[in-house]
Amino acid sequence: MIVKEWCMYCGECAGVCPRCLIEVGETNITFDESSCKDCKICVQACPVRALIKE
Amino acid sequence: MLIETDVLVIGAGPAGSSAAKHAALNGANVLMIEKKSEIGAPKRCAEGVSKDGLIELGVEPSSRWITSEINGVRLVSPNGTDVWLTEETVKLPEMGYVLERKVFDKHMAMDAARAGVAIMLKTLAKGLERKNDHLIVKAERMGEKIEIKARIVIGADGPESRVGRWGGLKTAVKPKDMESGAQFEMVGVEMENPNALEFYFGEVAPGGYAWVFPKGEDIANVGLAVISTLTEKSAYEHLVDFVKTCPTTKNATAVELNIGGDPVGGILKKIATDNLMVVGDAAGMVNPLTGGGIISGMQGGRIAGEVAAAAIKEENISEKRLTEYGERCKKEIGDSFNKYMKARSYLESLSDEELDSIAKAFNETEFEKISTTELIKVLVKVSPKALLKLGKLF
Repeated sequence: MIVKEWCMYCGECAGVCPRCLIEVGETNITFDESSCKDCKICVQACPVRALIKE
Repeated sequence: MLIETDVLVIGAGPAGSSAAKHAALNGANVLMIEKKSEIGAPKRCAEGVSKDGLIELGVEPSSRWITSEINGVRLVSPNGTDVWLTEETVKLPEMGYVLERKVFDKHMAMDAARAGVAIMLKTLAKGLERKNDHLIVKAERMGEKIEIKARIVIGADGPESRVGRWGGLKTAVKPKDMESGAQFEMVGVEMENPNALEFYFGEVAPGGYAWVFPKGEDIANVGLAVISTLTEKSAYEHLVDFVKTCPTTKNATAVELNIGGDPVGGILKKIATDNLMVVGDAAGMVNPLTGGGIISGMQGGRIAGEVAAAAIKEENISEKRLTEYGERCKKEIGDSFNKYMKARSYLESLSDEELDSIAKAFNETEFEKISTTELIKVLVKVSPKALLKLGKLF
């Protein structure tokens, strides 16, 4: 997952991730990509399109 | 580092602070952790609350966190037909305030601290495990690893709602139930009435609506929420388009950008399990029609805090004991949400033309009082589809 620098760490992606793989800190975001099934729900939900799935 | 506490609240928004405060007031030892460096900022919210809601919660209004008092509502249909509902023409029992959340949230956290709650900032919960009769939460604070042993954990971690999932609750939000929001705080906003909330419906915000919530003579939160599955554009792109074309905002300047998700699927079926409860947005305590969740989240927090403290006194923190929390929430908050869910689904089904004809009919109606329920009653009168979908509910 590529996180663009304009991500604002709002956490909406974490809320819709069906597998609970996204951890959002105050100014950082981490994905457990090993368990990701490429559903891209997080990409679609992002209010500023800051996530890009490779 | 190991910390022991009766109750651990994760997240210091209004729902978390309310839960922490009421658990402490009822005798529990309470720790509240917050991942951010400043409680209440950045806001993810239009900042509107009802006066009645604050009164019910026993929160005394303060000029420190109220930016404007609301005495009217303007509803704008896609073709620009506007419906004004103001105190001069109707009774307004559900009117309220627009807050300054970064001050309000801190004020609520201070109330919790005064009740005896310990607060740790910059502390991010990383995971949770069960051990015998308690939970161990793993957290990090500025590079330091911390373990918190708690008898009850209250997840107030907002729409991310990971704490509930760690504990086995199904708190993930379905995309169709997550409104994706973007908002500017703007100056130079040309409002006809700087004490009225403005709502814009139709294609400007698929699955949601746009709003202008005044915070001063020419200052307002200008935002919108969309359901991301109903549009190809992001909430931010919709907002930029809206601000450019809306006569109220086209000459305004943004001084702040806020974004975030709003779970509008209603209160989750199960919000408590052994040793754990979820509150606020994490539990879906958001009005599905308006997206408002400050008051309902704080009400849920109060109930969670009271139940947590009582359960600890009784030394029974089983799911069965904590079920009281879910039952009281459904009774005190959730009943009306079912109606608003249906209303939301009805609004989503309307075309721009139908919205325009409803606005026209609203203008020909005399209201006696304004509340969400009253508005929907009028809707039922003027729209056959509304009668079909909503008639029996209100």
